[in-house]
Amino acid sequence: METTHTTPLAKWARFMEIIIPAYMFGKSWSIADEKTVDLFRAEFPPFLIDLAEYLKGLAGAGHDSPLGRFYASYAGAIIGIGIVVILAMVMHLIMRDRKFIDSLRFTSVTLLPLAILNGTLSHVMKTLLKNVSAATATEEALTQAAYTTPMNQSMMFFLFYITALWFMGRRTGLPRKKRIAVVIVGVAFIGVYIGAGLLITPSEWSVLLPKLMQSVSAAQ
Amino acid sequence: MTITKNTYLNINKYVLGAAIAFYVFGISFTKMVHPGLFFVFAAGFFCLFHERYFIGRLKLAAHVWLIPIFITAITFPLVIEQTLVADAEEITMSTTATVVVLITLLLAAVPFALFMIGRSEEQPSKKPRLRIVSVRIVVQIAIYIIWLAVSAYGYIRYPDAEEGRPDLLFWGMFHVFSVAILPYLFGRVLCSWMCPNATMQDALFKNMNHQRLPVPKMIDEQSHVKAMAIAGKADAAAPYLPFTLLLVWFIGFNIETIWDLTPKIWWPFICFMVLLMTASVLFPWRKICTHLCWLSGYRCLSAHNSMWRIRYNRSKCKQCKVCQAEKACPFYIDIRNQHNEMPATCCLCFSCMEACPFDGVITFRRDPEDRKRINTELEGTAA
Repeated sequence: METTHTTPLAKWARFMEIIIPAYMFGKSWSIADEKTVDLFRAEFPPFLIDLAEYLKGLAGAGHDSPLGRFYASYAGAIIGIGIVVILAMVMHLIMRDRKFIDSLRFTSVTLLPLAILNGTLSHVMKTLLKNVSAATATEEALTQAAYTTPMNQSMMFFLFYITALWFMGRRTGLPRKKRIAVVIVGVAFIGVYIGAGLLITPSEWSVLLPKLMQSVSAAQ
Repeated sequence: MTITKNTYLNINKYVLGAAIAFYVFGISFTKMVHPGLFFVFAAGFFCLFHERYFIGRLKLAAHVWLIPIFITAITFPLVIEQTLVADAEEITMSTTATVVVLITLLLAAVPFALFMIGRSEEQPSKKPRLRIVSVRIVVQIAIYIIWLAVSAYGYIRYPDAEEGRPDLLFWGMFHVFSVAILPYLFGRVLCSWMCPNATMQDALFKNMNHQRLPVPKMIDEQSHVKAMAIAGKADAAAPYLPFTLLLVWFIGFNIETIWDLTPKIWWPFICFMVLLMTASVLFPWRKICTHLCWLSGYRCLSAHNSMWRIRYNRSKCKQCKVCQAEKACPFYIDIRNQHNEMPATCCLCFSCMEACPFDGVITFRRDPEDRKRINTELEGTAA
């Protein structure tokens, strides 16, 4: 059985397989502008948004110029990479059957469903006021767009994250017990992420909704 | 047994050059018919008059030409409508467009008629078509026609709008399924079941035997034996997706973000798809999809996590090489080097399953004998 990789670009492929999901995972936290930053603070863990805003401030990044958007997307990506590395350390301690770089790749690739969830949520927040046009921006429509739908979508992506951990673990030769342990870590990570502030809570929504209704009225 | 890749269409470089020139004209100067149609039409129509053509598959080839006829027919009323409501100056433009549409319709009908009355040469016997492959072809053609129809409609009806276009809805749904749902269930289905460019390549481009541009060795070897080796335990570090595939996606995504192209994404998508088709004619079959497609990179990465893949029962394999990379697989996977299933780069086209002359080697369900072997290798764990 051939197990070695002799192509000159293989190590770069490994690099990209680690970087792309981590980049996508974190990028969503830093693309809020002045109008949407409060929504982002409610939707995502506020300390991550604040950290991303701080990094953007250091670079002097705004959203008006291409260079500003470049800095902004990478500010979040750096945080995302940091979180993936920390999670990979935990995974590495559990798996103990491969090099750290392979544990990092495992963690990063399996995190793709959550990266897509983050991207979806940030897109919803960015386009919320635009999509729910003034004429149809009722309380129900806003609740549906910003609160109910993301909640349902996130369930699907959480499920995909769990299955990704299981199947990727199996394909990489992880014994059953360790696969279960890896899934438990994944569930714990989802729990921590939600606990830190992912998704809008009912109390946050009760504060946000009047503000949103007010901004819709002002637009009219 | 013959694999359909062995059937060729002859086309010379001058004809191809003329087709591309026609295509460039379509995309640059005409906004009345989707530019991709010009290319489809031109590439096929010019080669009709050149030596051997679709030997033995005339009826199949004929149906390719129903697509431009269909699209032209459904968009024609829109052109007429514009002519009626436009002012004097615009009537001139619309009249030109009407002529273009009518000419397209008439010329596209000619190859269809010729193919239908043509006679084919005798063919070697073929293995019966697998039902799943037939289903795939139907799905491919259906999605392709929807793509052409909504693109043409959006192009004519809303030439300058950035919202409310039916082609935007198409791409929205395309992304929802190809990024967020299907990769986690089945893997890279985008590249054989959904992509319009893949359909064009499978239906038309792969049967052309014109001189193709060489792919640089460093890029090409990413998809060959050693790079694609994958296996249960060995998969801890493998397989790697082609670096170029990921790089192209990363660069493209950054451009989209930095230049804030998302609200105007309909235009890059139209350009991207037709340019992708052009590149796909110039390079060997599916090499662009394998190494350089912007749509494919991220989705292929997600396919690492798929719940189900096509099974390869190594214990039953006779190592006959019929399924080997260069003959059957669009992504050049060396199936005999796999451990128990296809790698993440597999696009679920089932060509290998159709090509394999033996039963039970490439299957939907894992063979019990192989299941036992895998469990043993996983040190007594359940499958």
